[in-house]
Order: sequence, then structure tokens, then C-alpha cells
Amino acid sequence: MHSDQPSASDSPFEVADEVDEAALARVMRVVPLGAGVLAGAAVALLVLGYLAIYLLVFIPRGTIG
Amino acid sequence: MRNVERLCLAHFWVAFGAFLAAAVLGTWQMWVRSPLGADVGTPGQYFMSVTAHGVAMGYVLTTFFIMGFGYFVAVTALARPLPGKAWAWFAFWMSIVGVIMTTVPIATGSASVLFTFYPPLTGSPWFYIGLVLVVVGSWIWCVLMIVAMAAWKRENAGRPVPLAMFGTVANAIMWLWTTVGVAAELLFQVIPAALGLTQTIDVGLARTLFSWTLHAIVYFWLLPAYIAFYTMAPRAAGGRLYSDTMGRLTFILFLIYSLPVGMHHLLMDPEHGNGTKFIQVLLTAFVSAPTLLTIFTITASLEIAGRLRGGRGLFGWIAALPWDRPMVLAVGLSFVMLGFGGFGGLINMGYGMNAMIHNTSWVTAHFHLIFGGSVVIMYFAIAYEIWPRLTGRGYTSLAPLRAQLWLWFIGMMVMTLPWHWLGLQGQWRRVANFNYADPIIAGWGPWVIVSFVAGLVLLASALLFVRNLLVLHLSPQAAIARPLYALAVHPPQRVPAALNGFALWNVLVLIVMALAYGYPIAQFAIAPSPSAIVHRIE
Amino acid sequence: MTELHPEMHERRILGTELLWAFGVGVLVAATLSMIVFTALTMNINPPSNVERIDPKALHLSGEFAEHNLGTTVAADGSVTTRVVATQFMFVPRCIAVPQGRRVTLRFSTPDVIHGLLITGTNVNTMVVPGYVAQVHTEFTRSGDLLMPCHEYCGIGHSEMWATVQVLPEGEFKPDSEGKVSCAQR
Repeated sequence: MHSDQPSASDSPFEVADEVDEAALARVMRVVPLGAGVLAGAAVALLVLGYLAIYLLVFIPRGTIG
Repeated sequence: MRNVERLCLAHFWVAFGAFLAAAVLGTWQMWVRSPLGADVGTPGQYFMSVTAHGVAMGYVLTTFFIMGFGYFVAVTALARPLPGKAWAWFAFWMSIVGVIMTTVPIATGSASVLFTFYPPLTGSPWFYIGLVLVVVGSWIWCVLMIVAMAAWKRENAGRPVPLAMFGTVANAIMWLWTTVGVAAELLFQVIPAALGLTQTIDVGLARTLFSWTLHAIVYFWLLPAYIAFYTMAPRAAGGRLYSDTMGRLTFILFLIYSLPVGMHHLLMDPEHGNGTKFIQVLLTAFVSAPTLLTIFTITASLEIAGRLRGGRGLFGWIAALPWDRPMVLAVGLSFVMLGFGGFGGLINMGYGMNAMIHNTSWVTAHFHLIFGGSVVIMYFAIAYEIWPRLTGRGYTSLAPLRAQLWLWFIGMMVMTLPWHWLGLQGQWRRVANFNYADPIIAGWGPWVIVSFVAGLVLLASALLFVRNLLVLHLSPQAAIARPLYALAVHPPQRVPAALNGFALWNVLVLIVMALAYGYPIAQFAIAPSPSAIVHRIE
Repeated sequence: MTELHPEMHERRILGTELLWAFGVGVLVAATLSMIVFTALTMNINPPSNVERIDPKALHLSGEFAEHNLGTTVAADGSVTTRVVATQFMFVPRCIAVPQGRRVTLRFSTPDVIHGLLITGTNVNTMVVPGYVAQVHTEFTRSGDLLMPCHEYCGIGHSEMWATVQVLPEGEFKPDSEGKVSCAQR
């Protein structure tokens, strides 16, 4: 095969990345605000959709228990 | 010395070959059941196809992909050769024999029992025995994963197991627990019936044992996608993983809570009462936790990457992300499908609300979107990410990769969203042809056609995926060595033993399973239910 | 600007995760509580009547013998509909139910797993050989509904469905034995 190419087994598992620690510290002051709002909004929509289907579709179709 | 490239590639090509065949079958099925294909195909052919499609997508694509990816992670994340490689090849070939043994009776029409079996419907014994061989092969993989991690821990005393391997072994242990249900059902009930050794079968017990496997198996399929979320996506985006600890916790929560929830697939069944059903609904609510934690942690990780690239303001980091990279694009598309698919899932498990949609097209929509969509798109992304390492070749352009991912996303959304709607209208499952003359059914026709057209888009995407991988094998460009795994914001120096191993969690699994499944299974011995006569399919 | 000490970073990260977990935990708990509440007060449960019956002797059992199938109004006014699901039809193929009255639907099968739903309602149950599936409901609107078999039961599964006629009070008339059949149309 490709004897001169790196093998999957040759690589170390933890290679330093290109992230600048100072820049990381700066962004970490804000993170996870954006994530919290985005993910939070998504979950809120999920719950609202759930309630909507429960009250507007499921309940009107009657109980069967 | 080449260590695992050939082993991984062998597994992946079997997986993707089965995937492509299944995609063709799925598209044919959608044509046949639509108004456009009303005169095409017999029911016998249709259910043969459904069986093959389900087995290929649910048992072959998944198991072989996960095994191949596991071997890759064991070698690259632990930076040591795979222990027991001969066993790995033995397991591979045994699973191949199993696949062939399963496929032949399907193709001859003597195993149209679907991938969920449905005893007392009983097919050829070779169908089941073949699947048992695939499962036993995967058990060997599980043992090798556990051995690889244990060997690394011995050589690296006190250090945290790399997260990718921790997740892989969590998945392996979970799979060992998961397969107990279906193995018991097949070995003690279905195969004896198929061989003619028994003439009756306890259907309630069979369904309950199968349900043990049925939900946990989807987490077996899903965990590799989450391994990519935590360990590959942050690196691909140019950032850091927000929290390594949450990654470990997520895999542990999946190990514990994937298993004792299978009965939410039996909410409409008469062999169990409200009490046990409600307990498992409660536990199902718990298994939503690791996913909810993951979407926050991964979104935060991407936010780090986006802000490092200059994104400002509340959402500016989103546009700043390197969406031209396939792994990043796939994660974004996967999360969108996860939102819709998860929504459907929450309704399915909603106790009484399950009655609104059980066995309708809503269910078909849900698992195609959540598995075929959010999970399989990550399988594509993982393959794209590691293929250069496996082949030593590099991509000359990433555009066809992105195009393939977009086609998959669009096709999956357009195919499944109408199915949700049709499910609410009462469209039911596993139908070879609908009577579109019926006034209630007539209105469904146009939506079925829309789904079918989207299915054609998916088929195109599937073909493009295989093409992209094949082309890489022949690429004139050499692979550029790039590190794969993400660092955490704070790479852990030490983690507590509970987050570095599974001894404690195995005990918890045992306790929770006893609570959730103890009585529901025992009841079949305490108050034996009348058995049904075995119905052999000719 | 001063940098946060690395350890505080980790604590802060875990703090945000805890906050998030708490927030979604509240939402999940609220949703679950709603399910529990409606289960207890409005009887919103999945059909869970655990009642065993021998599938091999179904046609012999008094309740599911053929002459006893369909809708029957008992002396006390309660309405019960009994249907047998078999490969590949429901017996009877058409059932009549009253609008606006509580109906008990009972299903069983002598052969393989079936299932059914009634379109536009929450009536949905599996029919498992060895058990009687029971559903209570009230049909609010009159008209014809579809009751397909929704679980794969073999090659003829696609053709297996029944009709449910929801009859307004005036048209729902039991005969001398208390049985109500579908209106001929």
C-alpha cells in the first residue's frame, strides 16, 4: 500500500492545536452566552411545540385509557 | 507496519455497500407504495424489500461501521497497536458469513419477517442464525475495545483515558448489555421455533425481550456520532471542546439510561400494565438528559471556535464558523435534524400520547430523521474525516463532499416531514399499496409522492457518498497529516476513577435493569401467558 | 484585563453546565408532571388492560365466538364492541358505534401480532396473541372512519382494514339481542 505515508497507528493522540491561549481566555469570558441563548431557544421551541400538539391535536381526539 | 487501515476499510466498505443497496431498495419501496407505482411490485416483493432494507440499514451498516470506527479510535486515540488483531479479522469474517447466511433466505422470500422479527411469524432459521453470527462478531469487537482500553490504562497509570476511546468503550459495554434481550429471544424462542423444535411461542415474552434491545440499539448506533461531536467537531472547527467532563458524563448517562427504557416501544401492548409502562417512560425522560447536555456543550464548543475566528455579538460566531469543512457542516445539519427528530421522539414516549401516532408514518418519519438523518450524516462526516488517514490520499476538492451532505439533509427533511403529517392523519405502516380511491386515503397521495421525490434525492446523495470515497482511493494528492482529536478548554490531568472506567456504572446498569425489566420479564414465568402457534413463512 | 485562573475556568464551565442542566431539567420535569397529572385526573393512559386468553381456542371462547362479535348494547346500556383480528381481516369488517357515548372496544387474535388504529381518534392498540386488548373511548363526531391493521402481520397486511361507522344517537338502534350492525349504504 502506501508505505511512505503515515499510518493510522503512528499518530499521537494529543497534539497541541493552533489555539492561542490568550485568545481562548478572551473568548471564554463571553462563551457560553451565545450557545445558551441558541440552545435554550431551540429547547423552548421544542417544549412549546410539544404543548401545542398535546393540547390542540391529542386531547381533542379523546381519551382511551 | 500497516496496523489497522485494511481492517477499518474492510468494515467500512461492507457497511457502505450494504447502505447503498438498502438505499436503492428504500427508494423502490417508496415508488411502489405511492400512487405512481400502484401497479408495480407484489406484496411479497415489497415485504422482502422492507426486510432487506431494515436488516441492511439497521444491522449491517451500523454494526460494521461502528466496529471499523472503533478499531480506528482504539489505535489513533490510544496511540498503540490494536491488541488481538487476529481476533478482529476472525470476527469480521464470521460476521460476513452471518450476513450472507441472512441475505440468502431474505432473497428467496423465506424470511419476510422484517428486521423486527414479529414472532409468531417465523422465517427460515438461517436468517436468524446469520444475524446471531453478526452479533457474536460484534461481541468480539466489544471485548477487544475493553482490552485495548485496559492495556492503555496499565501503561498510563493515573492518566485520563482519551475521550474518544472512553466513549467507544462505553458504547461497547452498552452493546454487550443491549444484545442480551434479542439474543435470549432468538436463542431460546425464535430459533427453536424456526428449526421446528417447538410449535408454540410466548409472544408477549418475545416482544418484551426484543424491546430490551430495541431502544438501546439506537443508542449503540448514535454514540459514534456523539464521539465525533465531542472529539472531532471542535477540532475541525478550529476550537476547543467546552468540557471534557461533560463528554464523559454523557457517555456514562447513555450507558445507564439507554437500556431500561425499551418498553416505551410497547406502550400500546396489552401484555404490560400502566405501572411498568410509566416507570419506563420516567426512565426515558432521563435518557433525554445526555442529549440535552450535549447540544449545549457542543454548541458552546462551536461558539469558542466561531469567536476565535472573529465572530462577535450574540450570534455572530455562527457565521464565522468554517462551514466549508465537511465535519463542521455535518454537525450543523445534524443538529437541525436532531431538533426535529428529537421532537418526534418526545411525543412518541409521552405515555398516553403514544396512542396518537403508534404504528403510523409518524414513527417511520421519526426514526428516519433521527437515525437516517442526524446519525448517518455523522457517519458520512466521520468517514470523510478519517478516509485520508486510511488511504494515504488527500481530497482535491471538498465541494462534492459538501454537496453530498446538503443533498442528504434536504432529502431527509423533505422525505420525513410529510410523513409526520401523514402519520397524524392516520396513515399506517408497512403497506405495499394504498387504496388511493378511498376518500380518507386519497388526500395522502400527493404527500407520498413528495416523500418519494425526496427519496430520489437521498439516493443521489448515497451514490455521491460512495463515489466520493472511491475517488479518494485514486486521488493524485497525498494525504496531509492533520490531528484529528480536539483538546478540551482545560485538558484534564487527572479524572476520578468513576469518570475513567465503568466498574461502578455496570453495577448501576444491573440495578436499573432489574428495576425496569425484572418484573415485566418474570411475570411470564409467574403467570404464563398462553402461547401462540408458530406461523412459518414459506 | 486580568485572566481568570485556569481552575476557575473549569469551575465556571461546570457551573454553566449545571445551570443549563437545571434549566432543561425543570422543563422536562414540568412536561412529565403534566403527563402524570393528566394520567391521574383525565385517565390519559395507554391501553393497559392485561387480560390473558388462549389464542388457540379463541373461536371456542364464549366472548370471541363469531356470533358474539360486533357491537352489543348490554342490559345496563353499556356498549361493547368485540372484534377478532386475523390474517388478513377484521371480523366483522364493519362495526357500528354510537356518537357521544362511552364505548368499550375489545380485540383479540387467534394467530399473529396485529394492531389497529381508528383514524381521527386516539384509539390505537396492539393485538397480541394470548391477550385481550381493551380500549375505552367516546366518538365525538359522526361519520365513517377507517380502522386499518397497522402492524405487519404477513403478506396480506396491506389489505387488512375495517370500517367504523359512528352513528348519531337516532340511528344507533340495537336489535332484539342488543346487537347493532353497520347501516347498509
